Amino acid sequence: MQVTNKLSPFFENLNFERDDNTMVINFGPQHPSAHGQLRLVLELDGEQVVKAYPDIGYLHRGIEKMAENMTYNEFLPTTDRLDYIASTSNNYAYALAVEKLIGVEAPRRAQVIRTALLELNRIISHLFFVATHALDVGAMSVFLYAFREREFAMDLMEDYCGARLTHSAVRIGGVPLDLPAGWLENLAAFCDKVDYEVEHTYEALLTENRIWKMRLEDVGIISAEDALSWGCTGVMLRGSGVKWDIRKEEPYELYPELDFDIPTSDRCDSYGRYKLYMEEMRQSTRIMRQLIPMYKESAPQLMAHAPQYISATKEEIMTQNYALMQHFVLVTQGMRPPKGEVYVPTESPKGELGFYIKSEGEPYAYRLKCRAPSFFHTGLLQEILVGTYIADVVTIIGTTNIVFGEVDR
Amino acid sequence: MRKYVPKDNVQKKAYYTDRFHVVPRVPREEVTDAHFASVVSALGSDAKESYVEIGQLVVHIDPTRNFDVMKTLKEQCGYTQCSEQSAVDYLAKDNEFELFWQLLNITEAKRVRVVCRLENGLAIESIQPLYRSANFAEREMFDMFGIKVNNHPFLKRILMPDDWEGHPLLKTYPLHGDEFASWYEVDKIFGKEYRDIIGPENRDPAKIDIEDTKRFSRVGYEVPFGAEYNGEEEQEIEYSETALVNYNKKASKTLDERR
Amino acid sequence: MAQHQVNYASSAGLPIALTSVDKLVNWGRSNSLWPLTYGLACCAIEMMASGASRYDFDRMGTIFRASPRQADVMILAGTLSKKHAEFARRLYDQMTEPKWVISMGSCANTGGMFNTYATVQGVDRIIPVDIYLPGCAPRPETLQYAMMMLQKKIRKESADMKKNTKQDLTTQTGKKRARLI
Repeated sequence: MQVTNKLSPFFENLNFERDDNTMVINFGPQHPSAHGQLRLVLELDGEQVVKAYPDIGYLHRGIEKMAENMTYNEFLPTTDRLDYIASTSNNYAYALAVEKLIGVEAPRRAQVIRTALLELNRIISHLFFVATHALDVGAMSVFLYAFREREFAMDLMEDYCGARLTHSAVRIGGVPLDLPAGWLENLAAFCDKVDYEVEHTYEALLTENRIWKMRLEDVGIISAEDALSWGCTGVMLRGSGVKWDIRKEEPYELYPELDFDIPTSDRCDSYGRYKLYMEEMRQSTRIMRQLIPMYKESAPQLMAHAPQYISATKEEIMTQNYALMQHFVLVTQGMRPPKGEVYVPTESPKGELGFYIKSEGEPYAYRLKCRAPSFFHTGLLQEILVGTYIADVVTIIGTTNIVFGEVDR
Repeated sequence: MRKYVPKDNVQKKAYYTDRFHVVPRVPREEVTDAHFASVVSALGSDAKESYVEIGQLVVHIDPTRNFDVMKTLKEQCGYTQCSEQSAVDYLAKDNEFELFWQLLNITEAKRVRVVCRLENGLAIESIQPLYRSANFAEREMFDMFGIKVNNHPFLKRILMPDDWEGHPLLKTYPLHGDEFASWYEVDKIFGKEYRDIIGPENRDPAKIDIEDTKRFSRVGYEVPFGAEYNGEEEQEIEYSETALVNYNKKASKTLDERR
Repeated sequence: MAQHQVNYASSAGLPIALTSVDKLVNWGRSNSLWPLTYGLACCAIEMMASGASRYDFDRMGTIFRASPRQADVMILAGTLSKKHAEFARRLYDQMTEPKWVISMGSCANTGGMFNTYATVQGVDRIIPVDIYLPGCAPRPETLQYAMMMLQKKIRKESADMKKNTKQDLTTQTGKKRARLI
């Protein structure tokens, strides 16, 4: 039954016979903590980590090279698979980058829907963070509670775009679909549920929990200068006291009109970051509640009007000849943006997700680079893990909230 | 004669080009903003060209001066974070790479892109002492393009396996991978002899097999692999009697039983 | 099954087929399949969702085990990159008999949308697969249905593992059985 193969124990250049009494262990690419394929080679002195070397690339799929061989619209569903926990945020970051390149702005209703989806994705991602972080640290029941809430959020996403995980809910120039009947009421009910649960379940179970505090306080401390230097963004930066949120500082979509706060923490450790995630969930529900009346006041236009780059609506394509011809050309040949380059940062739930697109006027991008927040947070692990105990390694990996679709692309 | 396919750039090309089509450019503006003007003046002669494109300042520099430029930007102009760093392959056109660094100023909320053109074969100085995020970003640039970085503490392949040959994001590297790539996993695990046994990769997404009708199961009418599909009787989905409620029993049956 | 002098599981030498022993063994094996946590990419999230509160996986007797020595089923959920292929095969080899493999999602079945240089075009190039589960990402109910199909397949197996055919491209005999073009 067993097929013989030539895999023999293969230890790279790691020297296992050492005089200085440190042990080298391999925290392999497959491990039960849910974060994906991270391989850490840890050098331990007893229980303390002396050196940590993160080895990534086990999920490298060549997404950037794919972007050079696909048209801009074709590539949008591939961006789903980057940060696969909150897919719409990747789609949106890419769509925004292309929209800035071609100089098009989405209409009002599309902006309302997009902002609502972005905040819903933020909640989905933060719930996943709480679930897996608690699971790694040991509080397994929080995993089940958070996934229950997540199922309600994924029901909402499924009502809207048909998919639970890989949404592609956003198009370049707007959104493809209008909200189904009753979606906004469900959203309001969901916001109430999340607010209640955050206060009465997650915070009640974890925040004042002695064991949780002992595991998380003073673990994974990173100063503000180090965080900035290592390229940390998002909660990693705000947890170290730097008040930087792209939604407020370089606003996009409807964020300038919405009223929300940016929580920051001066604690610089995992406990501070955990509290920030909880507070951000509350702010997200606050934003979504403000969007519900905005939807009704908006004109029912879903895609921007830019016939050179963006197809017409489905009704026009099915009835008007020129719309059909133009749609055909855009689908088969692809849209040709102007020649130039653009870098657009957005605040994804993990940090600053940005797309750098360089276009030579061809329908295929000449270069697409995805600035993934988790890539730099993984680089940070080299420094932040040194001096911690091996039990803290799992906590720190959890608190950096890395997802390997983004790291490896 | 077969069609000439250029090997120096195997990126997919548009199959139709309109010879009267003039490609527009993304508009470039003059540097009018006070902060950006101060940045340009701080760089002095290093900034060969500077303009504002889509709200961000773009500065073209000489590749040998990149460390000093970054030092000026970090210390004098307050650009404390290097968000991103990568390269664009222009080897086919100019035999050069175009490298860019994306910097962020937290206090002013402004971004600067520093661009330089590096000739093929030359190396670039690492800015890792200034911005630690360059540690991983430069390794990725080396892995994907083959651009060597001087004074980097650990310049090794990061995304591809350590024994990979070739730099994937170069324009000469095909999307499906060259011969080394297509047999990599077979060679690694089983050895070269198994190439014939396992067979080449199927890179054609539209490939249809004559035996496909036997292989794709229809829910409820599944057959074992390779068996003939008759499609006659629907097989009930077997639920465990001990663990689950049997949904196959119709609700009306209890009514009939009661009568 | 302990292999003492009399091998009840093999019908070699005995004129009768031991169906009741087979049935008992298969009942035990199928109703407590312990999967190896092998979530690679997005499908791993759906696998976790299927093990979570709404779509409970525990009701089938599955407990996710981290060690390959204690696992029966390897659910390959997600894209297998060429860098990782070696470790997937290593883990498959470390699993103890009897073992089965479910290939979950398009990326594990055929490489999926990632038709690139760094993706293994189908996990069955390396590992013999029992159940292919299409989808991108497949719903949790689909994964549970695949598990139920695997249970059905196991119940039809003979306890003597040598008789069970698998889709195995990696051996000459396996390839002949698969009858691919």
